[in-house]
Amino acid sequence: MRKYVVIYRAVFIENLQYTANIMMGFITYLILSVVFLNLWGYMYDAPGELIAGYTKEQMIWYVMITEMIWFGARSSTVREQVAADIRGGNIAYLINKPYRYPFYILAKYTGEWNIQLSMYAGLTAVVGCMMVGALPNFHWSTLAAVVPCIVLGMTIHAVFKICISMLSFWIEDAKPFQWLYDKLILVVGTIFPVEIFPAAVQPVLKLTPIYTVCYGPAKLIVDFSVEKYLEILLAQVLYLAFGSVILLWIYERGGRKLYVNGG
Amino acid sequence: MLMAVKNQMRVCALAVKYNIMREMLNKVTFLTNILFMMFNNAAFIVQWVILLRLREDVGGYTMREVMLLWGLAASSFGLSHLLFSRVFSLPELIVNGKLDAYLVQPKNVLLSVMTSATSASAIGDFLYGLVLICIFCFSVRRLLLFLLFTVTGALIMTDFALLMGSLTFRFVRAEMLGSNIVASAITFATYPDGIFHGVSRFLLYNIIPVGMAIYHPVHIMIAFDVRKLLAVLGYLVFLSAAAVFVFYRGLRRYSSSSLMQSGRV
Repeated sequence: MRKYVVIYRAVFIENLQYTANIMMGFITYLILSVVFLNLWGYMYDAPGELIAGYTKEQMIWYVMITEMIWFGARSSTVREQVAADIRGGNIAYLINKPYRYPFYILAKYTGEWNIQLSMYAGLTAVVGCMMVGALPNFHWSTLAAVVPCIVLGMTIHAVFKICISMLSFWIEDAKPFQWLYDKLILVVGTIFPVEIFPAAVQPVLKLTPIYTVCYGPAKLIVDFSVEKYLEILLAQVLYLAFGSVILLWIYERGGRKLYVNGG
Repeated sequence: MLMAVKNQMRVCALAVKYNIMREMLNKVTFLTNILFMMFNNAAFIVQWVILLRLREDVGGYTMREVMLLWGLAASSFGLSHLLFSRVFSLPELIVNGKLDAYLVQPKNVLLSVMTSATSASAIGDFLYGLVLICIFCFSVRRLLLFLLFTVTGALIMTDFALLMGSLTFRFVRAEMLGSNIVASAITFATYPDGIFHGVSRFLLYNIIPVGMAIYHPVHIMIAFDVRKLLAVLGYLVFLSAAAVFVFYRGLRRYSSSSLMQSGRV
């Protein structure tokens, strides 16, 4: 475990040097916020109107928080580096190191998102308060309770992204599968809360990563309840366990294929 | 003069042809990229189905107009990346000193750079737009206008990316700033202009060229207006001239990185 902590710390410190680069991404976040502010401003006719149980302020805050998670989770490590290592053959060297490659990537990714997400969280708080106003019924204690949900959500996201990248063991380019996963999260997960979908679709959405990666943390911040909190936490733990098994299985199978091809 | 232009066009066409042939070397990957990009774009239909369940129209757009908007945005984006993909990574070439290879060629530097790469997935974007217009709002007149505006939209997006990318000649940080602004133009292009008011609307029609590349053409396809058509064409000429001017001014400041020697270009 200590070696992964060392990797995490090294990447964390390294990323502190690139905060200016991360801040450049703020432009896209701000533009998306403007788009959604205008969009939901148009969708709500009158103040106090509810759509799927959300007021206009809650809805915009929900979207801003899911976008914050989306931008905070952006990383070339889980998206491009894994696929490039496999395609370029670098994996043959990394596989022999005294760590498990997927966990090495996960530790590296955690060091990256810790900085990114913190910066985007600060931006979201400032922009949200300026453009929408304070979040109704928000208590600081909820934020402390939601932190484990965010950590689990980000880790689940990384596990699935690594799984998809590892498809490069079999196909040359796993990018198209990344697009589909990203669109699932972006289109269905970040723009709308699950409640807005038809009742028949909602149970299906709860089985997808959307529920654990985006919806869970954002829902708890805008409308916290203990029952929902426990439900989401349990779903995340189960999802992470399931994702980790899949990840290790793909890695083992892919590693064998690499051996057959002679690296 | 005419012969030189003709020769240059021929070189550009050959460059694009060979770029596509290179992408087709692995046929499975090539086809997967195209098909999955179309599925990827189609995912956004879900978003609009949900939004239009809540209200009859969004910013004055019903499903038909939204699909027209999406189709034009996808096809314009696709065409610009299919023909001039390298423009979108121009800052990287400038920062890493990789323009050397183009400077020694006996043809036009800018066109050589622009046509030196393609993107297979852009074919998916281009086709997706055509499929949308054929399914949701087909008429021969509209299809012809759609093709015209796909070309003008692609050129406006390319010019804008070239303009933003050329800023890197002067400021290194402009690399990320430019790519973020170009990406934001694509984001705006897929939402109806009717939802934007005030400053954002001013920006979309004056600074970020989404108004001229996408919104005006969509309005023209819905209700033909010759003044808007002339405005789009005039804007295209103006932006192209500005982008070419800024690129060549910036090129004077470019310094080589001797990559030729190590064969890395």
